[in-house]
Amino acid sequence: MSKKIITLLLAGVMMLSLAACGAKEAAPAPSAPSAPAASAPAAETTGLTEAFAESPILVTSGGQSADYQMIATVMGKVGMDYEVSNLCTSADLGDAKTLIIVVGGSSKGLGAAGIDADGELARLEELIAGAESAGLSIIAMHTGGEARRGDLSDKFITPIFEKADYAIVVTAGDEDGLMAGICANNSIPMDAIASISEVTTVLPAAFK
Amino acid sequence: MTKKNYISAALCLAVSIAIMISTSMNFLAAREVPMPEWGPSVTEVKMLSDWFDGLAGTNGDTPVYVLKGEKEGGAALVLGGTHANEPSGYMSAITFIETAVVEAGTIYVIPYTNHSAMTHNDPGEGNIQYFTINTQSGPRTFRFGSRATNPIDQWPDPDVYVHYPSNQQLSGSETRNINRGYPGRADGNLTERMAYGVAELIRAENVGITFDLHEASPEYPVINATVAHQDAMNIASEGCIELLLGGIDMSLEQSPTNFHGLTHRELGDYTDTMAILMETANASQGRLRGASSVEQVLGGLDRFYVINEDLGMLYVPFDESGHPIEERCGRHLQGVYEYISAYNNANPDDAILYSGVPGYAELFLMADPATLGGPHLGSYLK
Repeated sequence: MSKKIITLLLAGVMMLSLAACGAKEAAPAPSAPSAPAASAPAAETTGLTEAFAESPILVTSGGQSADYQMIATVMGKVGMDYEVSNLCTSADLGDAKTLIIVVGGSSKGLGAAGIDADGELARLEELIAGAESAGLSIIAMHTGGEARRGDLSDKFITPIFEKADYAIVVTAGDEDGLMAGICANNSIPMDAIASISEVTTVLPAAFK
Repeated sequence: MTKKNYISAALCLAVSIAIMISTSMNFLAAREVPMPEWGPSVTEVKMLSDWFDGLAGTNGDTPVYVLKGEKEGGAALVLGGTHANEPSGYMSAITFIETAVVEAGTIYVIPYTNHSAMTHNDPGEGNIQYFTINTQSGPRTFRFGSRATNPIDQWPDPDVYVHYPSNQQLSGSETRNINRGYPGRADGNLTERMAYGVAELIRAENVGITFDLHEASPEYPVINATVAHQDAMNIASEGCIELLLGGIDMSLEQSPTNFHGLTHRELGDYTDTMAILMETANASQGRLRGASSVEQVLGGLDRFYVINEDLGMLYVPFDESGHPIEERCGRHLQGVYEYISAYNNANPDDAILYSGVPGYAELFLMADPATLGGPHLGSYLK
């Protein structure tokens, strides 16, 4: 009997060894989307009603996923001028009047940037504090959908969205209403869009 | 020993020899790797050893299909079969070879990048060895291989694999994983020489953009994803947006600078190519699946993954429809198209133009669901 138990235990250990073809980076276990915050209402958000933001624009990442580069590409396609820096700090704000933070955690991206999640969070908090004291408008964006949710990405969502003046969210990434709840609680206008293609209309509309 | 003992021993010996002969024949038959048919733009089939003669005469030498357009243009490379247990990679490459009509530039396609890995499989996984697809010419049988070089060709594994030139240390078995062996070295082991051969081809032919087509288990976080070298991120961003607009769920990741040996890192660092890797969802990989089967490989079906989807254990949606080979190849082939289009926008003087290759819509969205899981893909194969 004891042999059977040992055999079963060994089989269980073997099953825990995962195989895949890509990099075996340390990744958080997938988790069901976070439950809405207890304080979150039924996520009654309002969209942006009038343009408020101004150029120059600085685009950065919130979590080092490549989504910020995709947003920069979209902005280029619609003729918006911007500077982009995935590792900028308050010292890099220059004469920027609007800071766009594209949120999405990526362990590959963090590795590429040579920073860990805690370091990234500290950078963002310092950047946002600097932007606030300099009077910049802050736009928070989450455009990576469900793939950019989970423990790593969620770590960046609340501290960034709480400080935003405006938010743009692809709905597939907010089925649990986390971001809608933050925006509703903090009276932050939020436009929920079906796909990244709609960024081409909602983002330029935010600029005077 | 009694006469009865002799008879028993003789019977056991005979059965053992019969099993040995049967398994040996089975093992040796795996060395016959089925090759693609020539498509309309194939002008020649070379061997990787034509670029690096250190592979000549080895099981690591592999055919390189050259698809040349009538007009001058840039060069692209498509790598299938980096991991021979990821069939949408090499089936996409084969589909490309057999259907592409190249109008400008040259496209090199290696269907079995690790040819040695195609000649065996992983017995411990209980994997299938072959699968058959009905094509225009009738049933064609393809190999299902292994993630790593055949140990007959490269043995033994060290306890610790030290990557050249970074000195990164990985587990010993990774020494036979070509996607941990780039940029390779001319005097290295067979896997390193294969990687070196690919890099030499890229350098010699001024390949502007390189694709490495992979699959991953549904419980692996980097899935339905593109990973690109930092030099390729502008092109990858533009292409990825087009894929999203086309209804393909695709995330984009930048290649980590501190993880070595992979195409998207080393080919970008050690050649001038734009290195891009794509991943699709393979139900026959991973540990949360049922017994290996053709249904997993071609149909992308597995009831245990459906259960695990409900448990929130997966990084890709998984229902009873699975992820058939047409969806997975469609993703890869559409990806190649969109990224090359983005490359052309950035390099109009070196444009690479082709047509005729079925994309995501043709292979998957517009297909009769009853034909998914092999037959529809087969309708495009010669």
